[in-house]
Amino acid sequence: MLSALIWIPILGAIAIALLPPDWEAYRYRKIAITIASVVLLWTLVLGYNFNPDQVSMQFVERFEWLPSLGISYHLGLDGLSLPLIVLNSFLTLVAIYSTDEKIGRSRFYFALMLFLSGGVAGAFLAQNLLLFFLFYEFEVIPLYFLIAIWGGSRRGYAAMKFLIYTALSGFLVLASFLGIVWFTQGTTFDYEPLRSSALPLDLQFWLLGMLLVGLFIKIPIFPFHTWLPDAHVEASTPVSVLLAGVLLKLGTYGLLRFGVGLFREAWIVLAPGLAWLAAVSALYGALTAIAQQDMKKVVAYSSIAHMAYILLATAATTPLSLMAAVYQMIGHGLISALLFLLVGVVYQKTGTRDVRVLHGLLNPERGLPLVGSLTILGVMASAGIPGMIGFIAEFLVFRGSFPLFPIATLLCMIGTGLTAVYFLLMVNNVFFGRLTTPVTQMPQVQWSERLPAIALAVLIVVLGLQPSWISRWSELNTATLIVDPALRVEIPATDLAQQNKIRQLD
Amino acid sequence: MTTRIATSRHPLAEYIKRLEAGQDLLQDSPLNVVEVVGILKSYGVVLDAYSRNLIYISENQFLVLFPFFKYFNGDVSLKRLTAHWFHDRLNYEYAEYCMKSMFWHGGGKLDAYLDSPEFVKNAKAAIQAQWRNNPFMLGLNALFPDYLPEQVRMLSYYSGLGQFWRVMSDMFLSLSDRYDKGEITSIPQVVQHILDGLVADASKPITYSVQLRGETYDIIPQSAGLTFLMDTAVPYVEAIFFRGTPFPGTVSYNAQAHQIPSGQGDFTYGALYADPIPVGGSGIPPTLLMQDMRHFLPSYLHDVYRQTPRQEDDLRVQICQSFQKSMFCVTTAAIKGLAPHPFDSQNPQHQQENRQYLQGWMDRFETSRLLTVNEA
Repeated sequence: MLSALIWIPILGAIAIALLPPDWEAYRYRKIAITIASVVLLWTLVLGYNFNPDQVSMQFVERFEWLPSLGISYHLGLDGLSLPLIVLNSFLTLVAIYSTDEKIGRSRFYFALMLFLSGGVAGAFLAQNLLLFFLFYEFEVIPLYFLIAIWGGSRRGYAAMKFLIYTALSGFLVLASFLGIVWFTQGTTFDYEPLRSSALPLDLQFWLLGMLLVGLFIKIPIFPFHTWLPDAHVEASTPVSVLLAGVLLKLGTYGLLRFGVGLFREAWIVLAPGLAWLAAVSALYGALTAIAQQDMKKVVAYSSIAHMAYILLATAATTPLSLMAAVYQMIGHGLISALLFLLVGVVYQKTGTRDVRVLHGLLNPERGLPLVGSLTILGVMASAGIPGMIGFIAEFLVFRGSFPLFPIATLLCMIGTGLTAVYFLLMVNNVFFGRLTTPVTQMPQVQWSERLPAIALAVLIVVLGLQPSWISRWSELNTATLIVDPALRVEIPATDLAQQNKIRQLD
Repeated sequence: MTTRIATSRHPLAEYIKRLEAGQDLLQDSPLNVVEVVGILKSYGVVLDAYSRNLIYISENQFLVLFPFFKYFNGDVSLKRLTAHWFHDRLNYEYAEYCMKSMFWHGGGKLDAYLDSPEFVKNAKAAIQAQWRNNPFMLGLNALFPDYLPEQVRMLSYYSGLGQFWRVMSDMFLSLSDRYDKGEITSIPQVVQHILDGLVADASKPITYSVQLRGETYDIIPQSAGLTFLMDTAVPYVEAIFFRGTPFPGTVSYNAQAHQIPSGQGDFTYGALYADPIPVGGSGIPPTLLMQDMRHFLPSYLHDVYRQTPRQEDDLRVQICQSFQKSMFCVTTAAIKGLAPHPFDSQNPQHQQENRQYLQGWMDRFETSRLLTVNEA
């Protein structure tokens, strides 16, 4: 069942690549939308059949691939990966749907989008470290081409920078994985056996350190972040949606699954430092966002700040904070995708993203009133206004982390306050006031351009009002990352005192 | 031999030069002709309805304290009531806003007459007739003797504006008819048509009387000597085109910041200053008028709007922009009609007086949308 999530998009991509090259672009797009819709439908079927009360992996698929190297094709789904798989399938459909019908080299473009989706799904489902690494590296290739071919004027630079950084990230992750197997003298890269293997603490530090730096590049965390603003600014809107919405989550997913899951002792020791790093990254992202004049860069730096909250929550490693990390991943995925989509519409209609040029876009007659309204909703969600997913995610993060790292959490909360500052500055400049003359003759916004943003906005509000639809998937499974299943007891995630005891006992 | 005085140094000297040369404030172009004639066609239809309603209210809702059905022109039925509630109707409120704006800003002999003893006498006679069998209202009138006469003053403006728009409506519709026949092809012809219309009806008397209990009561008798051009058209242009209130414009309404002029004559909230693009906080043009006009756009103008980038998304903004162009044509006609001397006069003294006259207008146009409407 799980293989379908990987192979339908990949085989679909191959099929599109083999189609006649002289078709109109919209036909490739329709086929890609159909494939992405099938994948999303299948994901929802899996989600419906997923048993949230079962702590072990579900829908497991396994066969030996290269036994001599310890590589098996081993897939599984748990409460950590399910929300991310759903996010990936949904945002892939959104990104493909948001792509211009007349995009150049469309056959190659849509094939790459589907390759990307399949690769990401593989990484989230892989239960073998090397299989994860293969998918982790695989998705770099389509993304590199998507930036390098369909990007902005400095696309070559941005794509190369992205490639170098993520290649280094992959190298460090691979080194860490090889190290753990080497030093445990294991014969397999399968996840579960390696979880139970104990390593000396100093070795854990080394291996975890390499893994962390590799994943920090991917997330990205300050000071490994510099590829991200360039990549976002140069990438086309649908690629930015996938980049911010899903691909960065590979890094945070790696932190939870492998950082916490494989190096528990070292993680607990390093956790205070990680919390401080999260605070620094959150404040750096927020303060830098204030200084930006490009709307896309504001959202990109906002991403750096908000991804740091996931590191904070993961550092705390209480059941509540780990669930918060998952929720923040979903929240950030939806909110950043929405904001990048809307910035893309603004750019497409006005020809600029410069906040010094744009004014009054909320104008009901000549502006982009719906786009403006949804942007305000998006920034409110990002700033953690109650009633939206951002509030639930950030509240859980801070509630889960504060007892352990009060100062770092407070600093991150200041970062949340700064979210309101940089986004309100942007919204005030771009959407309020009188329309500037250069943008009073904007073309119409089509409903097809509004639809994906409306869908994202609805999800942001619905999941803000009904958070249990996500948390019930993850609550038990994330707790098992830090507590042996045998020791795991039925303690509600909100019982912080009990959770901290568990953390210490474990 | 032609003699001309030296070129003006006014910031809008270009427009002084244009008017002195017999040209117009709005540049002549095929698109401008389509926009101006087309919008004046729909404006004419709307004005026709407005004027009928204003006259109906002044004559048939005289001192009715709760005129619930004043917009129905006497035709009250469930069907019309339902249409009214669902807002399937014209925004007659706009006509009342214009009336109140004229009433407030005054000007012309109408304003002066309404403060005269003759008016007070006529108004009191009508008031007595209206409430002859109602001691309660007569008692109230005795207690507050200024209230009902003030209502009659307002009703006089209902009637005055109704009569003014009756003429303007016919003028704009005949312009449209001539355009349809191919007789109007340029902006100068449009302006000339309006100027001819204004001149033709300049001395048309403005009168107002009501029928109460089978008797006719003159509120504004012909003997008051009020005429169409000087006593309704000129005050209307002053109140609605320049000073305004129905067209909140680009000037802020922040009284605390002393941004509202202290003198009424300095107000620039009129149609010629309005920002067609609505901005939160400084009024909401396109106004009710633009909503009404969109129902009666001729197909050739509608097609022009549909070919713009936003197509019909910003229809009211486009209507407002065209409307401003047309109002500059009406203003040109008024400027030409009221000029002290013909602009082709060779007399330097006349030229100098014309120059001063035009500079006075241009002073008022400096912050208007004159340059903007000629940018496109």
